Amino acid sequence: MDKVLSRRDFLNLVGAAGGSAAVFQVTTALGMTPVIEHSVTPQLVPLAGKKRKVVILGAGISGLTSAYELSKAGYQCIILEASNRPGGRNFTVRHGDFIDEVGNPQQCQFDQAPHLYMNAGAARIPHTHHKILSYCKELGVELEIFENDNRNAWVQDPKFNQGKPVRSKEYLADARGFMTELMAKSIAPEDLDKPFSELDAGLLLDFLKSYGDLSKNHLYKGSTRAGLQSGGMLMPAIKKGVYDFSELLKADFWRFRMHWAEGTDQGSPLLQPVGGMDMIVKAFMKKVGHQVTTGAQVRSIMNRSESIAVEYEHEGKRKQVEADYCLNSIPTHLVTGLIHNFPTRYVEGLKAPGRGKLTKIGFQANERFWEKQSIYGGFSWTNQDIQQIWYPSHGIHKEKGIILGAYVFGNKNGQMWGELKHEDRIEKALSQGEQVHPDYRKHLSAGVTVPWHRMNHMLGCDSHWSQQARDSYFKTLQQASGRHFMIGDQISYHAAWQEGAVSSAHFAINEIDQRERVKTS
Amino acid sequence: MKTLLLKGLVYWLLAFLSSQAISDPRPAKLAICVTCHGVDGRGNEAIGAPKIAGMEAWYVRDQLQGFQKDYRGIHASDENGREMKAMADYLSHSEIDALVQWIIQWPVDETPATISGDSTKGRKLYADCATCHGDQGQGIATLRSPALAGQNDWYLLSQLRNFNSGARGSHPDDSYGQQMKLMMNTLTDDESMRDVVRYIQALPAPGYAQ
Repeated sequence: MDKVLSRRDFLNLVGAAGGSAAVFQVTTALGMTPVIEHSVTPQLVPLAGKKRKVVILGAGISGLTSAYELSKAGYQCIILEASNRPGGRNFTVRHGDFIDEVGNPQQCQFDQAPHLYMNAGAARIPHTHHKILSYCKELGVELEIFENDNRNAWVQDPKFNQGKPVRSKEYLADARGFMTELMAKSIAPEDLDKPFSELDAGLLLDFLKSYGDLSKNHLYKGSTRAGLQSGGMLMPAIKKGVYDFSELLKADFWRFRMHWAEGTDQGSPLLQPVGGMDMIVKAFMKKVGHQVTTGAQVRSIMNRSESIAVEYEHEGKRKQVEADYCLNSIPTHLVTGLIHNFPTRYVEGLKAPGRGKLTKIGFQANERFWEKQSIYGGFSWTNQDIQQIWYPSHGIHKEKGIILGAYVFGNKNGQMWGELKHEDRIEKALSQGEQVHPDYRKHLSAGVTVPWHRMNHMLGCDSHWSQQARDSYFKTLQQASGRHFMIGDQISYHAAWQEGAVSSAHFAINEIDQRERVKTS
Repeated sequence: MKTLLLKGLVYWLLAFLSSQAISDPRPAKLAICVTCHGVDGRGNEAIGAPKIAGMEAWYVRDQLQGFQKDYRGIHASDENGREMKAMADYLSHSEIDALVQWIIQWPVDETPATISGDSTKGRKLYADCATCHGDQGQGIATLRSPALAGQNDWYLLSQLRNFNSGARGSHPDDSYGQQMKLMMNTLTDDESMRDVVRYIQALPAPGYAQ
């Protein structure tokens, strides 16, 4: 039988929250809270005439970062990229682009215009990701705000409101209102023991009133935060009606979606490069593009005592490069299929992370119909398989736009989408999208589907490290095996983020720098 | 002058021969195979893709057909098989022909042991398997029984488990798979499967199988 929470128990919980706030203030005063590190660029000792060659496997963000920094310090870099393009999962899809999915190669049919693109991989940069932001600044990549938390977008759930979508802000306002009214009703000063004084209780009630937009009597009677039913300019504002709290609870929205934009990397503001995420790749390529060979698929990596040898295939020929160091961003689950002489424990580590199956589906909209509903950027939530519909933060009020018709995370769901044939994915995304926007289908065309676990040379999105795998193998893979360093967001605590990729590259090149410093001294 | 000419001829010949040796015969579209199945089809446990180097041409054809005809790679618990199906569905007959011609050129390396088990017990258990798969696990083409020796041990174990659970060999069109599933009546527990796989792992790989 479920335990019944008494009023006293309930207040104890509130008290616990007050306690943690007090602790935070004390620790801040003592200087114990973490300070954000703004020193973001590695300071490598220049080689000063010494010759060192580094072969870098993969021209994604970690490989490009490594080449850029090492080149500045005088290292000779060679980047081997297996696919037809640099960037890895920093992949912006535009008119005519090739999408190299295993078993389902596609060519993007979007119209040609600067704003008609889909960031099929990395799509947003949190304001706390100082390293990648620092490169954007250094390389002159123009940024704009990416809307990640649009409270005028929709919440849709078949179990809630008979499946009809509701504005996110409406759900939020009503949920807060009911919660705070409930709390306010539970509080009577005479029932409070220390550490709450009558003053505390009064403040707490004021807090609840403000947080939930309660009436003078601490009751929730609806809020303009939910949007207006009518009026507000030339006529008096009329509030919307209120959803019954039991109805709100039926939606899965509150489980995690409601708090999504409060996550570490999801809080406003986020940023995106103007013109597509791959502007970062293009900026790096201006600096190190001459070092990149695309279509170069690695066959073997052999550590030797004085060098490291990498054999690869390029244009039907087998070639070899011998270097002082190798930085390897090939997904761990593909490295194990190469010829190598890594130690057993290192190979066990390479096998340890699982493959993320994040999937995106994009459409071209012949009309920006969402803007007619006052939706500018951000995304709608649905608990159908498409999970989210993204509206572009750029190209506002232009005729056409690229909409993300599915943003699928969670491996079971990703696997399902990957197994569908292309046409079936498109149909499913359209029919589910219609539950949010009834006239969806008539506006959309040129569907593009990108299940990352089926993309050639990737076969996975973010590395899935279980706690056990991390404890056992993360440090093993983070450290070099001989002259070989694994890099990429996979070798960080921030898989699927460019900041993780840059951080891992910095870690590895700092290690190389340390080795060279020791040799020099 | 003559020496120079001769030297030139030798260099040309060497260059010609070496470029022949390393020229890549694979059809561009099929280069995708090695992304999952590893360099020269050596198998990749991390992605659940078995060794295809050394697989018999007829077996590769049979199984690709099985994927295309929906009797392999459809079971809910066979995630890797379902991933393969999406790839197999995409191949035409002529591409499968080209693929098979490419695969039979791959060198067959030894496969490392990754599964623990009692090979003495496994040897006894293998007696039942030998009737169809040969006493050295070399396979018997006339019985449509593929070679087992030289295959990744983790893959053999995964397929024994699939036959045992019905994830493979349950479809009425998969007559050879059904035969194999019936034979699993003698091999129902995981320990026995490990023992027999441990025994097979130590058998010499049959080399280039046509």
